[in-house]
Amino acid sequence: MVYIESWDEFTKRSVDLFQAEPLKTRYVMKYRHCDGKLVLKVTDDRVCLKYKTDQLQDAKKMEKLNNIFFTMMARGPKGKS
Amino acid sequence: MVRLDPDPFLNELTKLYEQHRDKGTVWVTLKRVHLDWKRKRKATVESEDETVDYRCLVRATDGKKNISAMLSAKDHQRFQMAYATVLKAHMDALKKREKKDKKEKKAAAAIAATATVVKQ
Repeated sequence: MVYIESWDEFTKRSVDLFQAEPLKTRYVMKYRHCDGKLVLKVTDDRVCLKYKTDQLQDAKKMEKLNNIFFTMMARGPKGKS
Repeated sequence: MVRLDPDPFLNELTKLYEQHRDKGTVWVTLKRVHLDWKRKRKATVESEDETVDYRCLVRATDGKKNISAMLSAKDHQRFQMAYATVLKAHMDALKKREKKDKKEKKAAAAIAATATVVKQ
């Protein structure tokens, strides 16, 4: 699977993917300190979305995405409780 | 797989990141699960049953050691803030913001390199 270059595209598609298959979709964050690389992956085992970065500013954006996913996963895909 | 409470999980996650500062990779996975283990996964895909308790499963691994935690709707807000703090503290190998594109970056780096040489 190719990496998605645009952050906005990645977030939009990953949220859509989760909302389509809430119980099958997982969100993986892979961090390698020695290389300073961060890879985000969202997949339902059919579609796989990946985003790779070495920029600190993306880590800040990722924090927002983490919060979106925590909320959707704990409260329900539509954000309800 | 060791199932921990959210707070001990964060402590263990911190340890994982510290252990792998020099080499290795740490994975963290988030997944939505329901607590009705007997029910098949496929049965719940179409529509979410309101009566079933759903949780957010958080797993972390370095390839050898696995830890996990379950977050309920009540826990997640506190957890996500604490988690963000742990990440911020350990993701310090990432590069600072550079607005220029790649070609300019290289040029800027070369200039910076010569500048330091000149200073010395």
